[in-house]
Amino acid sequence: MTEQQLMALLPFMVLAAASIVIILLIAFRQGHTVIQVTGFLLMCLVIFAMWYVRGVLPQTIAPLLIVDGFGALFTGLIVFCVLVVGLFSYIYFEEREENPREYYILIFLSTLGAAILTISRHFMSFFIGLELLSISLYALIAYLRTRNNAIEAGIKYLVLAALTSAFLLFGMALIYMETGSMDFAVIAQRLNAAGKSSALFLTGFGVMMVAVGFKLALVPFHLWAADVYQGAPSPVASFIATVSKVGVFAVFLRFCQELHLQNNSAVMMLISAVAILSMISGNILALRQQNLKRLLAYSSIAHFGYLLVAFLPGNNTGVEAAVFYLTAYAITILAAFGIIILLSPGEKDADSLSMYRGLFWDKPFMAIVLTVALLSLAGIPLTAGFIGKFYVLTAGVEQRAWLPVIVLVITSVIGLYYYLRIISTIFADSPVTIQKERSLNQFFYTASYAALVVLTLLLFGIGVMPAVIIQGIKQFLVIDR
Amino acid sequence: MILIWMIIILLAGGILCWLLSKSNSPAIKWIALLAVLIDLVLLLNIWLQHGQGLTANTGNWMIQYQSAWIPSFGISFHVAMDGLSLILVMLTFFLGTLAVLCSWKEIEKRAGFYYFNLLWTLAGITGVFVALDLFLFYFFWEVMLVPMYLLILIWGDKNRRYAAYKFFIFTQAGGLLMLISILALYFIHGAQSGTYTYDYLSLLGTRIDPSVAKWIMMGFMIAFVIKLPMVPFHNWLPDAHSEAPTAGSLILAGLLLKTGAYGIIRFVLPLFQQYAADIAWWAMLFGVIGVIYGAMMAFAQTDLKRLIAYTSVSHMGFVLTGIFAFREIAMQGVIMQIITHGISTGALFVLAGMIKERLHTRDISQMGGLWSYMPAMGGAAMLFTMASLGLPALGNFIAEFLILLGTFQANPTFTVLASTGLVFSALYSLRLMQKVFLGPPNAPHKVNDISGREFIILAALSISIVLLGLFPQAVLDVAGKVISNKLYVIR
Amino acid sequence: MPIQYYIAFAATLFCIGVVGVLTRRNAIIVFMCIELMLNAVNLLLVAFSKMHHAAALAGGGKNVTTGVEGQLFVFFIMVVAAAEVSVGLAIIVMMYRNVHSVDVNFLNRLKN
Repeated sequence: MTEQQLMALLPFMVLAAASIVIILLIAFRQGHTVIQVTGFLLMCLVIFAMWYVRGVLPQTIAPLLIVDGFGALFTGLIVFCVLVVGLFSYIYFEEREENPREYYILIFLSTLGAAILTISRHFMSFFIGLELLSISLYALIAYLRTRNNAIEAGIKYLVLAALTSAFLLFGMALIYMETGSMDFAVIAQRLNAAGKSSALFLTGFGVMMVAVGFKLALVPFHLWAADVYQGAPSPVASFIATVSKVGVFAVFLRFCQELHLQNNSAVMMLISAVAILSMISGNILALRQQNLKRLLAYSSIAHFGYLLVAFLPGNNTGVEAAVFYLTAYAITILAAFGIIILLSPGEKDADSLSMYRGLFWDKPFMAIVLTVALLSLAGIPLTAGFIGKFYVLTAGVEQRAWLPVIVLVITSVIGLYYYLRIISTIFADSPVTIQKERSLNQFFYTASYAALVVLTLLLFGIGVMPAVIIQGIKQFLVIDR
Repeated sequence: MILIWMIIILLAGGILCWLLSKSNSPAIKWIALLAVLIDLVLLLNIWLQHGQGLTANTGNWMIQYQSAWIPSFGISFHVAMDGLSLILVMLTFFLGTLAVLCSWKEIEKRAGFYYFNLLWTLAGITGVFVALDLFLFYFFWEVMLVPMYLLILIWGDKNRRYAAYKFFIFTQAGGLLMLISILALYFIHGAQSGTYTYDYLSLLGTRIDPSVAKWIMMGFMIAFVIKLPMVPFHNWLPDAHSEAPTAGSLILAGLLLKTGAYGIIRFVLPLFQQYAADIAWWAMLFGVIGVIYGAMMAFAQTDLKRLIAYTSVSHMGFVLTGIFAFREIAMQGVIMQIITHGISTGALFVLAGMIKERLHTRDISQMGGLWSYMPAMGGAAMLFTMASLGLPALGNFIAEFLILLGTFQANPTFTVLASTGLVFSALYSLRLMQKVFLGPPNAPHKVNDISGREFIILAALSISIVLLGLFPQAVLDVAGKVISNKLYVIR
Repeated sequence: MPIQYYIAFAATLFCIGVVGVLTRRNAIIVFMCIELMLNAVNLLLVAFSKMHHAAALAGGGKNVTTGVEGQLFVFFIMVVAAAEVSVGLAIIVMMYRNVHSVDVNFLNRLKN
């Protein structure tokens, strides 16, 4: 391993060191505040390290990893999400019964897993990253261990994730048999040499899709999503919605790009079908939801259906669209969960829709943030979600994928209904039921507020001036091999 | 640049109103009024400067402003104003001023946020009328939606939630179809010319494969006829109009419906000339159905605002028929109709709002004999119902007459059918007057006649409708250059 | 032995595992079934590794390392499976403390 390769891995080593540092801090009996602040600074350090090593990219660390612009982009997004989630976690766990300190170890380990996914170019790193991500997530979901909901969500996630990992491995084994390699690039080579794709490869890919579909909560592997979102602590739910999905999507995208699966009509049929089903059922399931967290879970199913439409073309526009969409989606969902976290009283989460009646007249700021987030999810102009949806549609229309595009349009009109339902609840003319008196750490409360302001400004900023972000994404994607 | 300033003034005024909402001071109303008035003055200034020399330098465009926005997509911030835009923006600011004025007393609670939404809606509408970049157009098309939704949702009547949903979802469904069409057009043009752009002027010359063109055009058409509204898609309109607060109804009827007509004239006809001619017969048919259906439904209503809402359906049927007659004279009628309908129906909604403020009901059967209490309002109502039924010397008469004249050359049968719509309109107008203002007094208590503020609103509307009836040439001169453009007149 | 035997055997084990996960209600047995699936995959990987290695040798190479990654992968899977079990059992213990049962059918409270 050369010095440059080591340099390129610096951000990931810092990320790995972060959890060790937290363990040491706990060993020396430091308080929640110290850990929180250290964690925040470490994440900033990761971002700084990424900026610091930008010159040596791209680097291939054979055979497992490749640190290129693509990976850096997704890793940056992941670390950004973790920064925000970590900040919100303080307020949330400070008033819960559980000791919050080990939480940070798990969350950083999980982040490391997601980050490794973004730079993996080999089945082994794919698997290790995925398991690092999920094993920490099992514990995170069940973190509030005296609550039945959390345990239930944890077990559901545990069983299903382990089951789908086994499927993933089975698929990998089949592809390994066919091609004799686990390296994405070599697999692509062998497949090209063979000319047409064999049935064995397609079976293997299909079986792998089970695991990917599960992690991204795509239909028909979406059944866990609503339960886990509802049962998990809110910061963990926002983590699953952003970090875990970004990581898995990154590796899936890299795998398909590398193998040029977009030219494979059978695979594309499969993915379009999954996309269409996800868009339809996600939106329809969300229609009658009265629980905000469950609703966000269903809407995330639909959103990853939209994302797959951008994934279909497999050209640069598609990748850019996917990255942009994920960025916009992550910011939006963090803003929405931020509100849920800040409004949650100690004993349960503020996830019932009835708790939001008339929020606008009581807490206008929070109501505006939530409204903007919902409008962004619905894809209304002035918000980042609109540009994201526009980008996805552009990619779809360019590819003439008419059926998915039409389904996208129709289902997003259906989706509009439940977003509007929440908005009209927020603006409803009635007394507020959330009575929450804050006697908490004023500093972190203000910090969370500030984070929400930043997120909202980002939503508007990207919605009005997307050119900056688009340019940035393009520049990153050029750094390639 | 001045066009952008007009939009910015509205947006900034809205934000300022909102920021002041905590204090709930009367200054909020004045800020809102001032913002709209400044825009009105700016626009009058443009009219005086450019009004005469429309044919002058930059072709049809009096003012243009263009700057890059999202260069990687070929999206630019391109706004421009020609005669058509000028007239519609003028209507926007005129009705916008009145909307602020008629909310003066009606909106007491949460005034800051109310005026924020009002001004942002106006800003969105202004943007729609001046945008020359298809992406920008779509952007404004959607921007005007959210504040309007909130206006209905928060300050509307009893059934406001339902009405607000319906309004939003209908428009959004059409809008997304339009977005797909815009994207398809963008890629077809890009593949042909090598430059990918959303600029209207560049896209004008695109040659499209006929089989595809039909579908692309339908995407645009559906968005616009939902807004217009054309009959099978009119369902959202009566609910939204009747549930919205007075200013909301005024803006909906006076301006939002016009964005649909504007879209057809500005985009569908020039971009898809040949294919538009192909569907002309159907479009005229649906227009005529709208005329008759709207009038009949209006006759059957007992809710005052619903009744007026259905008259809009009827009047916009004329617009659709006129546009697709492809005659210059009919198009002149359409422009007139757009304006006079905005004023006369807007005025009727204002009157309905005033009556509701006094009687707390919209039910016609609970009214009657109001003339004896409020002769001044009765007089105004008489004027506008007469305008609505198309009495000569008032603006609507000119408009409908020109449309029918133009349509007759294109299709006599439809013209005859549409004319029966005029008979129905006489029926519902007279019924309206009789039930509300004439007959035995039925008011529960004595009500006051119009106040000074209301007098100003009604006077402004009355004067303009009479002036339009007497001097329609002023409007036709401004818009004339656009209309006589051969793009709109095919056969 | 032909490779098909290994595939058939591993596939059978895998299917038994899947059926077990889907039908059993005891969380610990469900977990064991997942382990069974992972081991089926391990078996497959070792078999394929050997197969590719043999093919490379037959192709004329001496001292080739082809196919070694299949066996390497097996070690990773074993390590990860151990980690998964440790966390998984901890959660199951927690469940037992809360509801005094490890029956997964008790877990149905998350709904509206």
